Amino acid sequence: MAWKSCSHSGRVAVDPIVLDSTRLSIAFFSISGLEVLGALKDINDDNKKSMCNWIYGLQIHPTEDGDGSQCGFQGTDTFVTLENGVATNCNKMFANGHLAMTYTGLASLLILGDDLSRVNKTAVIKGVAALQQEDGSFAATLLGSENDMRFVYCACCICYILQDWSGMDMEKTLSYIRNSFSYDSGFGQGPDLESHGGVTYCAVASLVLMEKLTETLSKKEIEGLRRWAIMRQVSGFQGRANKQEDTCYSFWVGATLKMLDFYEIVNFEENRKYIMSTQCSIMGGFSKVRDVNPDPLHSYLGLCGLSFMGEEGLEQVHPALNISMRAADFLHKLHQSW
Amino acid sequence: MSETSSEGSDGDRWVFYKDRPDWKDVTPVKQEEGPFPVVSIAYNAKFKDVYDYMRAVLKSNEISERAFHLTKDALELNPANYTVWQYRRLLLKDLNKDLREEFQYVSQLIDEYPKNYQIWHHRMVMVEWMDDPSMELDFLKEALYNDPKNYHAWKHRQWVIKKFNLFENELEYTESLIGDDLRNNSAWNQRYFVVLHTGKLSEPDQIRKEISFALKAILKTTLNESAWNYMRGLLIHTEKGVLEAEVVEFCEKLYASGNKSPHLLGMLIDMAVEGDDPKLDERALQICRELANRYDHVRAKYWNYMETIVKEKIAATKVADQKATNANEAASDVKNN
Ligand SMILES: [Zn+2]
Repeated sequence: MAWKSCSHSGRVAVDPIVLDSTRLSIAFFSISGLEVLGALKDINDDNKKSMCNWIYGLQIHPTEDGDGSQCGFQGTDTFVTLENGVATNCNKMFANGHLAMTYTGLASLLILGDDLSRVNKTAVIKGVAALQQEDGSFAATLLGSENDMRFVYCACCICYILQDWSGMDMEKTLSYIRNSFSYDSGFGQGPDLESHGGVTYCAVASLVLMEKLTETLSKKEIEGLRRWAIMRQVSGFQGRANKQEDTCYSFWVGATLKMLDFYEIVNFEENRKYIMSTQCSIMGGFSKVRDVNPDPLHSYLGLCGLSFMGEEGLEQVHPALNISMRAADFLHKLHQSW
Repeated sequence: MSETSSEGSDGDRWVFYKDRPDWKDVTPVKQEEGPFPVVSIAYNAKFKDVYDYMRAVLKSNEISERAFHLTKDALELNPANYTVWQYRRLLLKDLNKDLREEFQYVSQLIDEYPKNYQIWHHRMVMVEWMDDPSMELDFLKEALYNDPKNYHAWKHRQWVIKKFNLFENELEYTESLIGDDLRNNSAWNQRYFVVLHTGKLSEPDQIRKEISFALKAILKTTLNESAWNYMRGLLIHTEKGVLEAEVVEFCEKLYASGNKSPHLLGMLIDMAVEGDDPKLDERALQICRELANRYDHVRAKYWNYMETIVKEKIAATKVADQKATNANEAASDVKNN
């Protein structure tokens, strides 16, 4: 697989410029992908340290008056410039953390074996708090962005990783998730929206990380959710009823079923057949459907989807945190030392 | 990518910002990537040039017409850059720009990138600023004509309908979309959204009307999960749920006609589990096996699991019956003594 050939330098060449503003999440797909392949150990410690330094360079620190509302990690250094020899954001007001980047940044650090000691934890949590909306959902970043279930999930991951839920009104978060439970027993991206595999994952993982799954959904509702999820299997998985299957849902829906203790119900053979059919024979990696170019997200999620079925040579993946079990165990050890 | 910027571009020839006379007074600001960028993006010369000036403008907080045009070029190169969008909104306000023009711009971009979060968000903010939804429903009709399942478009549509109370013709709209494609799950979801928010789900007559709408659609393609799910969604709001007489009758008739749609069979299983007819329980066990072996083989393990659920129900019923019999016997014993 092409992944392996990248692992020596630890750098991943990505072409599409449109990914520029979210480079940190691309880094996460690559780092976590190498980890799931068991190839991260081929990167030497110096390179790992350099990668951690690059990630830490994206951390936004509190202002002098202690305001942390902008804190977290930004996704790129597009607006970073050298000022008196120091890398500086060219406009502080527009340099804000982004929840998806904070989550993927923390996750990448953990996978690389960093103990998060350089994370300004209090500030990151303040940054999370500043993004919760009246309806309980989260926006991605200050100064305006959409708010929905994706960022609820990111917020939950951040609070879980840092073991600090003080930046979130959990009651409100739960009510947002609850209100997004649809008539067909899946979750929509927000209240009234169509059930969708990716956001169902976000909702269920959030509940799992908060340890509120069985409190929020009745037994009957969980049975409904299990059925909604298993009905998504075509050969691989689709994200919505009557839609085409797509490699990434072998992870999103697969992980949902894992968290619902229902993964054994999946038809492994069909699922594996579909994922493998989207593998690119020339470059390696996976695409969403057959015969299109592979991309970092689908390559990574394809691997995770295979890992859930115990594919030989792949590390196990923690379904709620979307990092390797090894990295999750490392995190839990860190928690004990905090 | 189409060249939409009129300033600085000379026909098809792109003029670098560094070569533009009207930008002479600005020193470009280089990006600092650090010694070890993990993801190296292969920036081209145009991208570097535009963003060198974008950084310069951000750094000096320049509020000007030319900065406004620059954001357009920067967004054309990367419409997902939320920072540029945020700066553009600042400029829109401070320069007191005509928001109608901005609307045209954003409509054009949505045509080009119908699945970009930042662009849709920008449109939402524009609607809020203008406090005018009059262009939205037609625009969305167009977007949904191009892609009837575009999640962004549906999200925007629901938002604008809720915010400005535009439910009036929406039920008809969903009906026409469902007519175009019975399997359009987004349209079914939208229909549920409408009946829920217009109070129809608290009126039994209206629910019945919707149930027959769903049943008609099911008859056309019994394999259509969307219609079945919609019908089940309505049943949540009825007294008897899946045991609603009209639906039971419909399903029995369909089953008797030899239909083996997994959605029908799944419904019959659920009816048995919810009901209290031992004969139907036995039939449900049989159906589970048929689904696993034949009619929904990919989910064989799921239907095997459902078989255990039915068996548990049967066992629980027997225990309850036994208890009731014991209680009766005890009662008659007391009497006899
Ligand atoms: Zn996908």
